[in-house]
Amino acid sequence: MNQASTLPGGFSALEPFVAQWGLSGTARRAAQRTASSPEAREAFFEAASPLLEAALTWLDDRDLATLPPAGRRLMDLMLSLGHVALAVEIQGPDEVKSAVWRDRMRIDRSTADQGISSCSN
Amino acid sequence: MPDAASSFQRIPPDELAWLGTGPIPARAYHDPAYFELERQAVFLKSWIHVAHVCELPEPGCFVRRDLEFAKASLLIARGKDGVLRAFHNVCTHRGTQLVEEASGRQSKFTCPYHMWTYGADGALLSAPDFEAFHLDKPACALPRVALQECGGMLFVNFDPDAPPLRIWLGAYAERLEQMPAARATTFSQYSYEIDANWKLTYDNFQENYHLRFIHPRSGGAGIGGDNPFGYPASLGFDGPHRTQRIWSNPAPDLKPFQRAAAMRGLPAVAEQGLLDLPFGRDYLAFFPNLFVIGTPTQPFSHTVYPISADRSRGVVRLYWVGEDGNASTRFAREYALAQLRDIHCEDIAMIERGQKGLASGALDHIHFQSMEALCRHLFNEVDSRVQAHARALGERP
Repeated sequence: MNQASTLPGGFSALEPFVAQWGLSGTARRAAQRTASSPEAREAFFEAASPLLEAALTWLDDRDLATLPPAGRRLMDLMLSLGHVALAVEIQGPDEVKSAVWRDRMRIDRSTADQGISSCSN
Repeated sequence: MPDAASSFQRIPPDELAWLGTGPIPARAYHDPAYFELERQAVFLKSWIHVAHVCELPEPGCFVRRDLEFAKASLLIARGKDGVLRAFHNVCTHRGTQLVEEASGRQSKFTCPYHMWTYGADGALLSAPDFEAFHLDKPACALPRVALQECGGMLFVNFDPDAPPLRIWLGAYAERLEQMPAARATTFSQYSYEIDANWKLTYDNFQENYHLRFIHPRSGGAGIGGDNPFGYPASLGFDGPHRTQRIWSNPAPDLKPFQRAAAMRGLPAVAEQGLLDLPFGRDYLAFFPNLFVIGTPTQPFSHTVYPISADRSRGVVRLYWVGEDGNASTRFAREYALAQLRDIHCEDIAMIERGQKGLASGALDHIHFQSMEALCRHLFNEVDSRVQAHARALGERP
């Protein structure tokens, strides 16, 4: 598939972030928050947070259970953005020291994981 | 905002003096002998939260719960008759653990060792060459443990003489039934093990004194104005249980994305009527180790299970009504989970540090101020049971 068409129209600015943040599974997204660099988190937050409202509005018009692959990627990106926003907007300089403890709190189950195989985090 | 300056009235310390004001013996938080008395007098005698009805919607649904304090594995199952029951997860032939899976759905449970097979109601259905045992099948049913429900929450009690759950829960039973968790059909969960005593762990979540120091960023919205500690608006006590009403910050310092995330979750919560529930700002603490929070956008329970004097396991569940109905709901729920986990990870760091400090026995006592009244109340309720049990055993408490 053409790299430029992996997301719904209007969200092409997020293409560079799909590989790192287009992850299925809450625990995988939380783990990527920890594994990523501060620079990667800040770049994603800066590019994606202005598109949150538009992305959720686009997705809300569609049935979650039958989203096409491009829509699923956009959903996963927005879910990852929530984790990243906590790191960038709320935790800031405290992110590094709290990450070690956060990873000890294992995500066992999430409503977003319907039909997705679990991830050991 | 001028209104913020007059929003908070601190509960006068004299109103809480009936709980006592003296120091608290430190050994209650690290001594294995004290823990053993607690295990017997508190955990084997109290209703302990283990599951939620939404985990067991259909006949044959089961969950396995391992409870270290009882050295027990429990099998909780809904029978063909629709009744929920708890059993020891143990084949009555020679004691083999029956079920390894954490949860599932099946109409029969078969021990892999000699193929003894039980129904979801615990009855022994069949066993190869059973005639050779000189036994009756009814005498070989799985051993029952008392299981009762209130507000969707399932509790077990290992004491055959325990009072009914509703009597145990007292006046707060009706409040539990009006929490969002009572309407939940699903939940998200994270859990952790911690090198700390169960009371030291649980107490962290009973006081707000630490919020401004440990959660200056992650918990910033709950402190401020004329309530810089985020102290509760009110406290209440009923038997061994207790409650606090969380102070509503009139001018919470919400960041733009944080606010947008919360707003995305509101329509579904409003549609479900959860914004109109009467205890949406309340924290209900059920003795000994469960508390439930009614915040409509982030309703959760937290249970701290003791493993040993200095090790515990915490389970945090965010309870939701219905599956994710749309993308906004899914997003808001995941953000709520991640936000809560951020706060809790800061807590467990400090709790383990506390246990390390207590472990040497350097302190004879620890101290609770009046705004740590819920911690003191828990200690009082535990200690009265420990003292009575020790006297009955003829031991030093």
